[in-house]
Amino acid sequence: MKRVLSNKWSIMVFVLPTLVFFTYIVTIPIVKTIWYSLLSEIPAIAKDSHFVGLDNFIKLFTPARRNAFPGAVLNSLMYAGVSVFIQLPFSLILALLISSGIKGESFYRNAYFIPVVISSVVVSMLWQRIYKDILPAGLELIGLSEPKNGFLANSNTKMWAVFIPSLWQYVGYHMLLMYGALRSIPSDIIEAAIVDGASGPRLAWSIQIPMIKPMLKVCLSFSLIGSFKLFDTPWVLLGRDAKDLPALYMYVTMFSSHKYSLASSAAVFIVVECLVFTVLLNYIFREQNERQPGRARRLSGK
Amino acid sequence: MKKMTFGKVVCQIFLILWLILCLFPLYYMFTFSLKDTNEIMKVNMLGLPRQWLFSNYANAWNAGKTSLYLFNSVIDTFVTLIFTSLLGFMSSYGLLRMRWKGQKIAMTYIMMGMMIPMHAALYPLTVTLLPLTKTHLSLIIPYVAFNLPITILIISGFISSIPYEMEEAACIDGCGVFRTAFTIILPMLVPAIATAAIFVFLQVWNELLLASVLTTDKVRTLTVGIKQMSGQYQTEYGPMGAGLVIATLPTLVLYCCMSGQVQKSLVTGAVKG
Repeated sequence: MKRVLSNKWSIMVFVLPTLVFFTYIVTIPIVKTIWYSLLSEIPAIAKDSHFVGLDNFIKLFTPARRNAFPGAVLNSLMYAGVSVFIQLPFSLILALLISSGIKGESFYRNAYFIPVVISSVVVSMLWQRIYKDILPAGLELIGLSEPKNGFLANSNTKMWAVFIPSLWQYVGYHMLLMYGALRSIPSDIIEAAIVDGASGPRLAWSIQIPMIKPMLKVCLSFSLIGSFKLFDTPWVLLGRDAKDLPALYMYVTMFSSHKYSLASSAAVFIVVECLVFTVLLNYIFREQNERQPGRARRLSGK
Repeated sequence: MKKMTFGKVVCQIFLILWLILCLFPLYYMFTFSLKDTNEIMKVNMLGLPRQWLFSNYANAWNAGKTSLYLFNSVIDTFVTLIFTSLLGFMSSYGLLRMRWKGQKIAMTYIMMGMMIPMHAALYPLTVTLLPLTKTHLSLIIPYVAFNLPITILIISGFISSIPYEMEEAACIDGCGVFRTAFTIILPMLVPAIATAAIFVFLQVWNELLLASVLTTDKVRTLTVGIKQMSGQYQTEYGPMGAGLVIATLPTLVLYCCMSGQVQKSLVTGAVKG
């Protein structure tokens, strides 16, 4: 048995294709991107390409009238904020409501999830029609007019017009994740709480929400990472040359302005941002896990 | 008792309002794909179509190249699924069940790939795959590579629950590694592979970034195709709506047929990732 499972040849046949393929298509390009982000320009298009260290990153964050990157990062942080403080609580409320044994539980769950499986391109194009036809007509009916240049071009409304479809689309996803976690809380805990007189909001706040903390962490990291990577929806809604979010900035700098090093450093920045926030989340949630036993001890009077 | 019912009614109203908000764009898509431009823009924005113009679908199907794009999307997705499932199964088996030095390191190495967004590899990948942009391979190759980690993660979660006795028995009966893996373990992992496949299907079918960079017109996928349509049909929205419906139907049908399975696979993919 052991001999069979540690046969070198068969191991190579099973594992090597994946490792080689993965390295060639994923790892090497990533390493190359990191290397390019440290050069003045990539060797393929500039002869005098040389190592410049972190200059590209400094350039990304140098305030200048034509530098759109700081604004793009701010926009993505704003999106992350909206997602964390509005989208997630809203999903949580939906999850709590439909898991409370309300009539039509599985119908609601299935219906709310539908937007998630639809391509975000389709979703964005539908919302484009909503912004261009339905909303202006609706505003006209109640005697208002749409903002100057329309929702998608007006600088006051366009970021919100971009955020809303993506927030709308993924409410169902977060709801389902939280719903699953809520359903897996042992029913005797809930029953005990009800016997003790907790109901509705109180039950949710003191029992259910603390018990699904691990899942809340998953949702948080999803929404944060999703905010920094957000691309499809704004790309469709704002058009080809928009640089209002980091991923859009990277795309335009890469394929329209052909500044490959600068674009590579933007890409590296996105990755680092994602990693930093993941580590941060882990740190925050670990601390809470460690704190709890202490609190329990205090409560039991030891 | 009365207060309880009052609360329940408020909850129901709240849930129904969100339901309408959730389904409205879909309803809008289906109805406007059957209207003419005048109805869509002015006369009858929200109602059901007065005349059901199925010609919009014929229009989109022929003139808009939707049939070609649909075919391309189907091919890309199908081939990607075959390769992620096969490679995913083989490497998870090799990484978890066989015994060799460095298997933990190899596993961590692949799992790290999941943390990093596709953006980070975009430019070098484009250069590497540039010669292939006239073929389906230009998308299939990166799709397989980037979806392997999640496939391996999902499958390996299931593999660990299969007892070693299965393999021992097979081994005693004289099965080699390949026969054990493919005739004993593989059938037991079908649910896991299906879970992973649904996840990958939704990722690949809806992918836009790579598809817009790495395809030429002949191998363009539906997501990029319908995005172009918004420019192509500046004045005719009916056929555009038809294109949107065609792009959405496969995922919707899949979802309607097995909503439970789809939800399960997206949750598994999320929680493990």
